[in-house]
Amino acid sequence: MPLNRRAFLSSSVALAALATVLPRAVMAQATPEAGGTLRVAVDQAVSVIHPLLTRVNPEYMAAELMYSGLTRLGRDMQAEADLATEWSANDDLTVWTFNLRPGVTFHDGAACTAADVVASFEAILNPDFASPARNNVGPIASIEAVDDVTVRFTLSSSYADFPVALAYNNARIIPASVIEGSFESLRTVANGTGPFKLVSYEPDRLIVVEKNPDYYDPARPYLDRIELHVFPDLGAQVSSLMAGDIDMIATVGPNDYMRLEGQDSIDVLRSASGQFCNVNFGTDIEPFNDPRVRRALALTVDREAMVDFMTEGFGVKGNDTPLNESYPFFEALPQREQNIEEARALLAEAGFPDGFEAELIASDRPAIRVQLAVALREMARAAGITINVTTMPHATYLDQVWTKGAFYVGFYNMQPTPDGILKLLFTSDAAWNETRWNNTTFDDLVARARATVEPAARTDLYTQAQALMNEEVPSIIPAFFDVLGAKRSWMQGYDIHPRASVFRLDHAWLEASAPTRG
Amino acid sequence: MSASYILKRIALIFYTLFVVSILVFGITQILPADAAVMMLGENATQDALDALRTQMGLNDPIWLQYLHWASGVVQGDFGTSLRTGQPVGPALFSALGTSLTLAVLALALMLVLAVPMGILAAVRRGKLSDLVVGFISYIGVSLPEFVTATLAVVLVADLWGLLPPAGYIPLSEDLWGGLQRLILPVCVASVMMIAHVSRMVRSELVDVMHTDYIRAARLKGLTPRRVLFRHGLRNALLPTITIVALDVGYLLGGIIVVEEIFSIPGIGRSLMSAIQARDLPVIQAGVMIMAATYSIVNFAADLMYAWLDKRIQYD
Amino acid sequence: MTDFLRRLLRSPQGALGCLVVGLILIAVVFGPYLTHYGPEDMQALARYKGPSAEHWLGTDQYGRDIFSRLLDGARSTVLMAVVATVIGTLGGAIIGTGSAYLGGRSDEFIMRTNDAVMAIPSLLMALMVVSLLGSNSVNALLAIAIAFMPSMARISRSVALTVRKQDYVSAAIARGEGAPYIVLREMLPNVIAPIVVEMTIRVSFAVMLFATLSFLGLGAQPPATDWGLMVSEARQYLHRSYWILLWPSAAIALTAIGFNLLGDGLRDALNPRT
Repeated sequence: MPLNRRAFLSSSVALAALATVLPRAVMAQATPEAGGTLRVAVDQAVSVIHPLLTRVNPEYMAAELMYSGLTRLGRDMQAEADLATEWSANDDLTVWTFNLRPGVTFHDGAACTAADVVASFEAILNPDFASPARNNVGPIASIEAVDDVTVRFTLSSSYADFPVALAYNNARIIPASVIEGSFESLRTVANGTGPFKLVSYEPDRLIVVEKNPDYYDPARPYLDRIELHVFPDLGAQVSSLMAGDIDMIATVGPNDYMRLEGQDSIDVLRSASGQFCNVNFGTDIEPFNDPRVRRALALTVDREAMVDFMTEGFGVKGNDTPLNESYPFFEALPQREQNIEEARALLAEAGFPDGFEAELIASDRPAIRVQLAVALREMARAAGITINVTTMPHATYLDQVWTKGAFYVGFYNMQPTPDGILKLLFTSDAAWNETRWNNTTFDDLVARARATVEPAARTDLYTQAQALMNEEVPSIIPAFFDVLGAKRSWMQGYDIHPRASVFRLDHAWLEASAPTRG
Repeated sequence: MSASYILKRIALIFYTLFVVSILVFGITQILPADAAVMMLGENATQDALDALRTQMGLNDPIWLQYLHWASGVVQGDFGTSLRTGQPVGPALFSALGTSLTLAVLALALMLVLAVPMGILAAVRRGKLSDLVVGFISYIGVSLPEFVTATLAVVLVADLWGLLPPAGYIPLSEDLWGGLQRLILPVCVASVMMIAHVSRMVRSELVDVMHTDYIRAARLKGLTPRRVLFRHGLRNALLPTITIVALDVGYLLGGIIVVEEIFSIPGIGRSLMSAIQARDLPVIQAGVMIMAATYSIVNFAADLMYAWLDKRIQYD
Repeated sequence: MTDFLRRLLRSPQGALGCLVVGLILIAVVFGPYLTHYGPEDMQALARYKGPSAEHWLGTDQYGRDIFSRLLDGARSTVLMAVVATVIGTLGGAIIGTGSAYLGGRSDEFIMRTNDAVMAIPSLLMALMVVSLLGSNSVNALLAIAIAFMPSMARISRSVALTVRKQDYVSAAIARGEGAPYIVLREMLPNVIAPIVVEMTIRVSFAVMLFATLSFLGLGAQPPATDWGLMVSEARQYLHRSYWILLWPSAAIALTAIGFNLLGDGLRDALNPRT
């Protein structure tokens, strides 16, 4: 299914048809009604509203409301038009030209032109600003403004997924004047081209935005106001939704999902996804530098039970590669299942006939990391491996363990493309090279897939890469999670996105029965 | 109560803040986290980190860093949050306002309930009401706030639907809605103090009623009621003031949990998220503000005690 | 001693307190022999079960037997609380008695500084110490001990001041004994009785403080069986099975009540005035 959609890239002129701008959910429903205030619950503080510096889902949501990118990521993981209306590439996919929507203005009234786009991307690529987008927008060598409404990117290598990469959460357009003036000022104020304007900002309590009357789409947004309420306690979120205090929860856990399912006038939302929690090996540290040890541990995992423990059944088994059916260009390999005997044999072969002892580190947020560690500890025991679980605050984990440790638990959102997740975590030049696997064959496969347009050939390359990972196990990926959310039935035009960090609340609207329309 | 006593007490507050400042600065200096990394995030380059460290003075000797920080605090500048990049002072003082609303209401509720409960138990010592009050107070001091809060949300909000489960609306925005959302947190925050203070009132009153002073009053032929209210209670409540003031320290701690569960953006929650995110300037400022609040409350209680004490002497 | 015990058991608080604390001690000592499930044995097919003949108190989110976990948790929770209180009390007693012995300016300085530290709420103090040392049970123990020290120092000092005026201390000073000798051999023993009462009550506070630290994610860490951690983890499964939350909460409350009652009983038995 994704194959023929992808085929458009082979022509030198790609266009984003307007029809793809509307998510499926909206088209199926009644005519949107304008007006009202939507109340959304988010589970973490919105500490950062600077669109180039946001790091977690609630921050992405706030930035998405107020800023635009060149492209957006659809629910089908394809690029959709945002500030760019159409784009094209040369034959070897190294030079990309984007046509911008004319007449777009920032919230302060200034025009948004190609100069702002160029300045924004230069800021993203500037290491001093440390934008997370720097490693995620593709191999941009240079960018130039052809005229006021055209920009041209020159890449250092072929990249078929470039328009999708530009939809990255941090790749937003901000005024060139801000970058020249005070880049940091956008931590407290907002000035974008997005569908909503910032009204008030209290990081730990409430973010209020109101409709941008000059938004480029005259029909949207439908809502007058959106309030993001911060609820650090997950139970309180759910209680507030049931009480009608809020209209929507961005993400809920499986147990809360089950609690909300079937409640009057509440809709639960669910989407299969490539989100996963994994166990990373420092493949340069004993005993995990031996692939047999890593594979043995992978063989102790009862994946069926793991899906249950971690997701209460709202997920699918993983096969120690970060790709699954939710990704394009995916082909399944034979599923690895629990096999304690084989695990013991591998351990004996590797010189650990009596097993070994290791410390598994899990950060305390989100709680699912610890759940994985605790379950793995029990499963590995059968093969004689003793795992001691150590939990630590997330900040300490980032500082001391992450990308350095020998044996620790990771957690990742689904990325838009296979290339996105592999380049983020597993290639030698990965932005977050958690496992230091540094396998040149693997790197080569991923690099070739990047430059390959033909879908079957691309699928084949990714499948070879997957097989290599499955064999060498730089990381155990036991299960993928569905992303889950919930809303009141009176909220319309919203569906949960598999990427979990895209929301499109400009399409949301409230029925007349909603109590928060006032 | 002389002017020199008051001056001495004020000097003590400053000494307290000085000690706390050294303590909290020392602790935050050795916390396992790098302020520059916290500020720039995991994508920062080494060069950017080094530049920021120099700019933030992280390479200076610790005593110099302390002096910089302390002189800022004296001028009301608590620095910049590593997490949000916003100045710490204004955000924390607005959070303090929220917390004080909660704390003052909890104190008021406590006084309204605990004092009569204690009197009742003392007057009817050994009777059923004494046992009931004793039982309630044992339960009250034995349940941690997070258990009481969970039970309160599950029963009152989820099951019976009487009150909103969580959230906060400033009273200035919506008085009724704001109060509704404060009822559960205030009750939870005051449970432990109600239990403690009612026991204290009871035992003080029982003690006082056994003193010669009260016996003398009885012998003078005053009615039992008059003996209790005019003489017994005054003397019994006096030590209670000090106990309540000391309990404020406990209340400030309990508020951390209550604010976390009920999603109230007070100083307790600011501190919790700062501790989780290793946001050092916010931890420093938050602890200083908490300690200052505690010191000021105890100062006020001492003044009140001295004032009331004098009146009792001359009565 | 027997006389004291009789007095203790005659008061309702003392008798009840002894009973509850006795039960808890039995759980601590004989816990593992009372159940045939291990506290970490997972059963994928028996998750979220209510109480039954097989699992007396039901099972949790991993299908672990709650009764076994509670018994196992008694060791960590209660022992930790007692040890933390003892360390905190000892530290506080040394500071307080020492300060009282020194008297004068040093006493003034020590106690003012001590009071200053008391301005930090004990929960907050414990939070800071734990984040400094890292979140685990042992560090939580230290944190609680440290958080208890200032108030215990204050109490021991006031007791010690009364003791200091007693003749045997003056006699020791007259004999020209050294400071450590006087503090440790003459003053501390006489300070102990009222401090033991305070300590007993503090154990219940320590149990709750432990639980709260675990709740805030800064105390014991999974898969530990610390009761506070059990409650904290259970909150998100409340709507699948409330037993997971109920039992450890009840255990915490019961322990706290037990030590409170015992403390009050001890106070009455030691001080027969009221």
